[in-house]
Amino acid sequence: MKMCDICGKNEATLKVRQMDKEGRATELNVCAECARQRGLSGVEEIKSDSGAVLAELRSKIEKQDKEIVCVRCGMSFAEFKRAGRLGCAECYRAFHQQLQPILRRLHGAVQHVGRTVQQGRKRAQERLEVQRLRVELEKAIKAEDYERAAALRDRLKKAGDETGT
Amino acid sequence: MKLVPEKVGAWLLGTGPDSEFVISTRVRFARNLAEVPFSPRMKPADGELVVETVRWALADSGYLNQGQLFTDGMLSEPDGFYFVERHLASPDFITQKNRKGLYVSDDETISLMVNEEDHIRFQALASGFDFATAFSKASALDEKLEGQLSYAFSPELGFLTACPTNVGTAMRASVLLHLPALVLTREIEKVLRGAYAIGLLVRGIYGEGSETRGNLFQVSNRKTLGQSEAEIIEVLTSTCRQIIDYEHKARQFLMHNLRVEVEDKVFRSLGLLRGARIISSEEATNLLATVRLGVALGIINELKIAEVSQLLVLVRPANLQAILGEKMDAAERDERRATFIRQKLVR
Repeated sequence: MKMCDICGKNEATLKVRQMDKEGRATELNVCAECARQRGLSGVEEIKSDSGAVLAELRSKIEKQDKEIVCVRCGMSFAEFKRAGRLGCAECYRAFHQQLQPILRRLHGAVQHVGRTVQQGRKRAQERLEVQRLRVELEKAIKAEDYERAAALRDRLKKAGDETGT
Repeated sequence: MKLVPEKVGAWLLGTGPDSEFVISTRVRFARNLAEVPFSPRMKPADGELVVETVRWALADSGYLNQGQLFTDGMLSEPDGFYFVERHLASPDFITQKNRKGLYVSDDETISLMVNEEDHIRFQALASGFDFATAFSKASALDEKLEGQLSYAFSPELGFLTACPTNVGTAMRASVLLHLPALVLTREIEKVLRGAYAIGLLVRGIYGEGSETRGNLFQVSNRKTLGQSEAEIIEVLTSTCRQIIDYEHKARQFLMHNLRVEVEDKVFRSLGLLRGARIISSEEATNLLATVRLGVALGIINELKIAEVSQLLVLVRPANLQAILGEKMDAAERDERRATFIRQKLVR
């Protein structure tokens, strides 16, 4: 008897396509309960050995994966499954539920242990803003857009850039 | 910007602990900026922003004074492979098209890739089996950068990376082992399977997808989430210690039972290297690795481990071209390589 790859408790009755650690699609055995939690209706009635029904389920999952989208970068979960790479830091929040079984399989854990980011966060964000403005300013100067350059210089001053360049 | 091709990194000096068995120890961290899209969603302006932000962070933290930041032109194919061969950059980094930067410290023990798969990937290399040095050097840079940059981090998942394989500590720690005796005694498979079973990864000398040449194996952690940096290094240290002990025993076995055969193999390799007029990079690597074993076993006394380890890097195509200062086709290179090795091995 194959056990469910998500909960590890129930018997797996379904195969679902998922990502492995190399970013390739691989089959995952899932129990009816976990499949329902992922929002798939009527899956209990499906026989796992039926090719046609599996294909239908697959396309249903694919369609559903396309609808899970990161609001910040626009990447869909389906896109992530194809490419194996996330679009931005926010994707981890957007795909939180979907990533859990993947992380568990890759790492055997879903909670970080170890070094944390402690200091300098706010300062770092300010620095990034300063950096953005510096790049803009350089571009403006190169393009001889002095009006814009002057405005950017003011913003840089306000953003606390001591160099004033 | 200038390369110094004849000078090899301090990590290749062969002075570290257990140099007879271990070429180098490496600790690498992946970090991303919270506010910037990851590589798959990156626009040219984002790439530029990351490169420039990192340039400032390196300058402000004093690192830029002790090294160089190379940018696009020098990092493209085929020139960029110079850095790959020196273990300072990955092949993927050289082939990818986004705006990129590579920082290399003067002694080549620290390097940092901007816009590889993650915004920032930096490593510290130490000679021999020496996690203490590699880890503290990489951590020191991490702390400096953290004060300057806004890392993408979540308390639940740790450092957020473009690929979920690296999330958490986002740390990859590895040891480059030279295991010829385990290969000769056919024990290697067993050892490597054992390492894999406890969650480690074994790969060839140039990382992912590369073949195992010269009996050189890179052992690293596979998992990054749920284990602290210290725990990961502890497991790697104890496992590699065991592998080194196996290799040591296998070498003793060979010396007691098959001494003449080993000597024959070693001196034939040295003879080929000293006599060849045409030699490929692959053949040179394999022969040099056997000579390295001979030096480690005291069969060859006229050479030092460090000399041989350095040659392993210098005979690679891009480094050879950099040393000779001209572009060559493969056939010409094989000829010049043979001459170069002969000159280096002459006594």
